[in-house]
Amino acid sequence: MTVLADPDASDAMAGFGEGGKGAPDPAAAPILSATSVHKVYRTGAEAVDALKGVDLTVRAGEFVAVMGASGSGKTTLLNCLSGLDDIDGGSVVIGGEDVHEMSDARRTRHRASTMGFIFQAFNLIPVFSSAENVELPLLLAGEPAKAARAAAVATLERVGLGHRLNHRPAELSGGEQQRVTVARALAGRPQIVWADEPTGNLDSETAAQVMDLLHELHREGLTLVLVTHDHGIGNSAERRIVMRDGQIVLDERLSR
Amino acid sequence: MNQERLVGLLWGSTGLTTAAGLAALGVLPTPVIVLSVPFVVLGVRRPVLRRLALRNASRRPRETALILLGALLGTAIITGSAIVGDTLGASIRRSAFTQQGPVDAVVRTTSGFDRRAELFEAVAAGAGGSADGLLALVSIDAAVATPVPPDRGSGPQAPPRAEPHASVLEVDFREARRFGGDPGATGITGPTPAGGTAAIGRDLARTLAVGPGDRVDVYAYGNKRSFTVERVLPRLGVAGLHFGFGSESPNLFVPPGTVAEMVAAGGGAGAPPTALVAVSNRGGVIQGAEGSDDLVERISEKLAENQIPAQTAPVKQELLDSADEQGRQFTELFTSIGFFSVIAGILLLVSIFVMLAEERKKELGMLRAVGLRRSGLVGSFSLEGWMYALASAALGTVAGLGVGRAIVFVTAGIFQGEGPLSLEIKYAATLASVQRGFLTGFVMSLLTVLATSLWISRLNVIRAIRDLPEPPVKKRRLAVSLLRLGSRALAALAGTLVTVAGLSLESAPALLVGPPLAALGVAAVVRDWLGKRGVDTAAAAFSLTWAVASFDVFPQVFKNPEIYLFVLDGVILTVAAVILVSRHQVLIGRAVRRLGGGSKSMALRLGLAYPLARAFRTSIILMTFALTMFTLVSITLFSGVFQSQIDDFTEDVSGGFDIRALSNPSSPVAAEEVAREPGISAVAPLAALGAEFQMPSREAATGSTGRFGSWSVAGYDSRFADVGPPSLQKFLPRFRTAEEAWRGVAGDPTLIIVDDFFLQAGGGPPEASPEVGDKVIIRDPASGTTRELTIAAVANAGVRESPAYMGLEGLRQVVGDQAVPNLLYVKTEPGVDAQSVAERLNGRFLSSGMDAVSFRKLVGDGLASQQQFFRLMQGYLALGLVVGVAGLGVVMVRAVRERRREVGVLRSLGFDSRQVRRAFMAESSFVALEGIITGTLLAHVSTWRLLNSGAFGESLRFSIPWSQVALVVVLAFFATLVATVTPAQQASQIRPAVALRIAD
Repeated sequence: MTVLADPDASDAMAGFGEGGKGAPDPAAAPILSATSVHKVYRTGAEAVDALKGVDLTVRAGEFVAVMGASGSGKTTLLNCLSGLDDIDGGSVVIGGEDVHEMSDARRTRHRASTMGFIFQAFNLIPVFSSAENVELPLLLAGEPAKAARAAAVATLERVGLGHRLNHRPAELSGGEQQRVTVARALAGRPQIVWADEPTGNLDSETAAQVMDLLHELHREGLTLVLVTHDHGIGNSAERRIVMRDGQIVLDERLSR
Repeated sequence: MNQERLVGLLWGSTGLTTAAGLAALGVLPTPVIVLSVPFVVLGVRRPVLRRLALRNASRRPRETALILLGALLGTAIITGSAIVGDTLGASIRRSAFTQQGPVDAVVRTTSGFDRRAELFEAVAAGAGGSADGLLALVSIDAAVATPVPPDRGSGPQAPPRAEPHASVLEVDFREARRFGGDPGATGITGPTPAGGTAAIGRDLARTLAVGPGDRVDVYAYGNKRSFTVERVLPRLGVAGLHFGFGSESPNLFVPPGTVAEMVAAGGGAGAPPTALVAVSNRGGVIQGAEGSDDLVERISEKLAENQIPAQTAPVKQELLDSADEQGRQFTELFTSIGFFSVIAGILLLVSIFVMLAEERKKELGMLRAVGLRRSGLVGSFSLEGWMYALASAALGTVAGLGVGRAIVFVTAGIFQGEGPLSLEIKYAATLASVQRGFLTGFVMSLLTVLATSLWISRLNVIRAIRDLPEPPVKKRRLAVSLLRLGSRALAALAGTLVTVAGLSLESAPALLVGPPLAALGVAAVVRDWLGKRGVDTAAAAFSLTWAVASFDVFPQVFKNPEIYLFVLDGVILTVAAVILVSRHQVLIGRAVRRLGGGSKSMALRLGLAYPLARAFRTSIILMTFALTMFTLVSITLFSGVFQSQIDDFTEDVSGGFDIRALSNPSSPVAAEEVAREPGISAVAPLAALGAEFQMPSREAATGSTGRFGSWSVAGYDSRFADVGPPSLQKFLPRFRTAEEAWRGVAGDPTLIIVDDFFLQAGGGPPEASPEVGDKVIIRDPASGTTRELTIAAVANAGVRESPAYMGLEGLRQVVGDQAVPNLLYVKTEPGVDAQSVAERLNGRFLSSGMDAVSFRKLVGDGLASQQQFFRLMQGYLALGLVVGVAGLGVVMVRAVRERRREVGVLRSLGFDSRQVRRAFMAESSFVALEGIITGTLLAHVSTWRLLNSGAFGESLRFSIPWSQVALVVVLAFFATLVATVTPAQQASQIRPAVALRIAD
């Protein structure tokens, strides 16, 4: 099943990251390299080891599903790898630079230029329209307003929301909101997209539509790291990582 | 001392002690208890609701504190205003004890001085059995000084001290102590002064720095008498007897017969002495005043029968009436001015509870889902609100006592000194005021909370749980639609009827409110068909224009507007302007974005997005700021207008003269003597004294009782007109020029010249501007002689306290030989410093009680008092700004909490922490600046309109004190930044992963 609304708009999605269109090249240089990542949560006197020395490498064009039970450290791993959260040990290199060695401002700029995010709760800015939400990262990256709007419109058309450009999040269905989130994550042509339970708030039909969209984008070269507890979605990725108690207990490449 | 009707609580305590005192004294008004019963029952019978309310209130102590702060300010303002009135009233009433004591009525005569024995008999016959005492006194206005030290040539010596306007009295001390039946209330002790001794009042002793054994000299009728001070008497009862302006009693009691000797030695020069008979009614100091009117009538009849030229005045009742009136006026003044801040407080409450409701929507939705009824939902929310209302009303009342005390402290400084405003201020708060403040604050908060609770109870369970916004209403039920339409049409109809009533009854408030109400009502009716923005814009623009132009369109209806009318006008202006701004926020936002760097400035873009998207919340904050700034800037403009016109005012009151020199009527300084002094080019003599006036046109305009009011009057002759008298704003058509009018009045005993403030006791703008041709009745307070006069001209009112002017001969026909030339208008030679000359004259004519001052200093001192009053007002109004800033602070604190997840998303998308901080600062600054600019512009328009309409007299011209206005604007904006910088900083420090993790 596809959600492509306008085949001509697919050009807007061309050239994600370094991989370009087609299957990932196993010999390609890693886009992300995490070494011995530790993360500890402290609440008062109590300390919880959320990540216990995680090592992970992701290559350009890969679709990695991170799975595991609740509290296993999936979302923490995503936050630490993307630089949204600080780590207590180890390193995370993206695009040749250790994100945790950067200042907050630099890390923010780096995130804006190399990453896209898709959240379970959509997390759109409620006072912005669809187009304004999508163009936001482009404007933050310094894109001229007209170009940013054109790219936002093209991306929204690409995800089938060309007719919802000026609608605010409250005026959209859950599936439409998540597609706007996908469009926002992709609009800046990031090297890597992080998705945290992107279908968690959607009914099965809408969830399938969103996953079809993500698969299609991955086929066009998108590097995707997706956290999920849904085995169906996890099995549809080309690589599956399973976490337990803050450690990777399984890292397997799936045949499709 | 029995304070009787004065339910005075002298709050000398701190807030906490006072709070404990409130409970102990049963301060809680009954309506508060009655209104609280349902909430108490609810809390007892529904423990779940009680627990929810208590835990929600205690969950975030800082925000609860902010809510209480916002809610208590309205109560504090209302309570504080009432206490200012209480204090003024109580301070004046205090004079009943200190300056009158057992004296309830006084019979005075000057021309009948030689018949004082007959006078006493007539008064005794008139008073009959209702009086419990009569007391004969003799009084003169004289200069009293310490002796000039002999020149021994041995270094510097202390100069003599003098009181130019002391009261020198003769009374039998034994009779005085028996007078009124309570010797303690008379203040009189010891034997009657005899030989070369005198008893001195405390105030005069302090001025002269003398005590028992010291010598003092009395100057009157051109001769001097020396006395040794035998004892110092308190300012109490007969010892503190004083009927003039001011709280001080500069009394000296001399041996009986002294005055007659001095008059005889003076050879008849100067105003004759006054013979008085004080009458004490049965009852205490305050109760005794109650039968005064009958007493005065009976005595007056007897005086008429015996043809004694004397005047009887119910002095105690007049003082008590004045206390009530002044107290009422000050309460009204501060309540009116504080009304803006109270509205700001209500708006703040609305905004806080709307936010609370939105924040709790999910939680309340869950409660509905698990079985809580809609009524229970209202109950849970309103129970918490009731706690806030009760706590804020109690805290607000305590704060109000503090606010009142602060105002009284500043006011005490303003009321110091001499003149009609001179009053010794003592802080006082009545239980009624405290209860009124408590009740008003409580009801205000409770109504707001209940309305919000009802609104939130309408929520849809699913939408609330999923935190989805309410969808726009596409189709309403017919009944609902008809109800909406009906209520709007009713508003339009009410506005029309009020307008018609305003026109036919010439009612200013109705005419001011009616048309805007009708316009907004019509707009509400047709907006569904014709488009909200266009229709609301038209209605708001009309209302704005009406509020600006109505005073000029109907000058007769809006003549001499009272303060509440300005308040009403200000509210209409602000509401209309806020509607206009709110309906065009998108355009304004677009313009601001463009100015701020267009799409490049993401912080600005995001910062503006929220206020533009949440129109209701934004308009409430906008209104709060606009109202506050409107009043603050208006007062600043008025202050600046007065300050900038010191030269004009000086010219208005002085004409061609430079110095006003007042000497004692018992030994007036001759104009020729002063004219011989160096540096002086011309002197015009006038006879100045206090008289009583009645003005029917003023009574009709102000609804006053028709009692005679005291005012100074000055009689002049052609010499005054020769040098250049004060300027006139209008005069009878039979005069071609102002000079001709002055000369005409000098020669016509039926004419008088007054200014806009003639007979006005309270502050504020002129209550009833006199018109040329209006009739005025003058009465001699000593003989009761009356005469009807016509206002020939209205002078420019440069400073308060300007006398009314009559021809000298005309004045003599009313007051007889009391009209002596004791007031000199002095013109100095070019290049001479007038104030230096004035000070030299004071030293030179010390024995005549010379009190000379340059007109510039006189006006400057008057304006300085006025400026102090404006500063006080600004401080009072700044409370409204505190409300506004607190409101914005609450909104921003809650906005940060509400948007943590969004901040997390923004941070993940590439917003750095500085941009987040800037976005929040931009959001608060945008709304605050809109309010500040709106309020400031409206204040300029309104002040310009008021001054041009002549509502504040003809002599004030509009000008802008740029630096002062800029200071107010900058301070207001700075306060906003201070209030919002912390939440903005907190927002910038939100770590994206934490925000996202918490949210998800």
